Amino acid sequence: MASVSAASVTFRALSKPSLKSNETSSLKVVSLGWRKNGFPSLRSSRFRVSCAQAKPETVDKVCEIVRKQLALPAEAELTPESKFSAIGADSLDTVEIVMALEEEFDISVEEESSQNITTVQEAADLIEKLVQKKPEA
Amino acid sequence: MGGANAPRRLSGMQKQVLALYRGFLRAARSKSPDDRRRVESIVSAEFRRGARQVDRKNFLYIEYLLRRGKKQLDQLRSPDTTALSSLNFIPPSQSVDSRK
Repeated sequence: MASVSAASVTFRALSKPSLKSNETSSLKVVSLGWRKNGFPSLRSSRFRVSCAQAKPETVDKVCEIVRKQLALPAEAELTPESKFSAIGADSLDTVEIVMALEEEFDISVEEESSQNITTVQEAADLIEKLVQKKPEA
Repeated sequence: MGGANAPRRLSGMQKQVLALYRGFLRAARSKSPDDRRRVESIVSAEFRRGARQVDRKNFLYIEYLLRRGKKQLDQLRSPDTTALSSLNFIPPSQSVDSRK
């Protein structure tokens, strides 16, 4: 049990050499989830790691871009759970949002995954994953 | 338009249209900022006009638009192309094909 969690912790540390303050907080969340589950099987731990929650600043940035792209009024509510369709974005808007996110984060989103994005949170999670994959220049 | 909450399943043709749109926006990135803005506004207006006006079941016409769009995209990709004035040309058939 202990060895499993240790292995996945080093994995996280390896994939992101720059340990920031939020990094530790997200680690805490992961281990908490295990304790609650009581079933730290290899499968569940892998799953948890792969869909690690995006950093708050990534979510904020995504929100900002979505706002700009859709020209949302400042008072319009936009949460990470907001569905793009619910805030008035059609499929063309979604393409524009994804393109803008690509530029902002300097990543390239594949055709298929971009069509599965329906909320800010999903977009932020995907970005987080792609940014981590990107070789550090 | 599909239900707001149902997970959107796009048809093959819708995917093609969106892929074409993406292609245009990608190609526009390679232009100078001014040209890019112009190209983007034209392309966006063109796609939105299509989304509004073209009957969703008019597959032949949509296929024609897709083919035409692909050709225009190929031309836009050439580094010599800086503007998309050709997209401003709207064939008069537009007014004929809908509503009776």
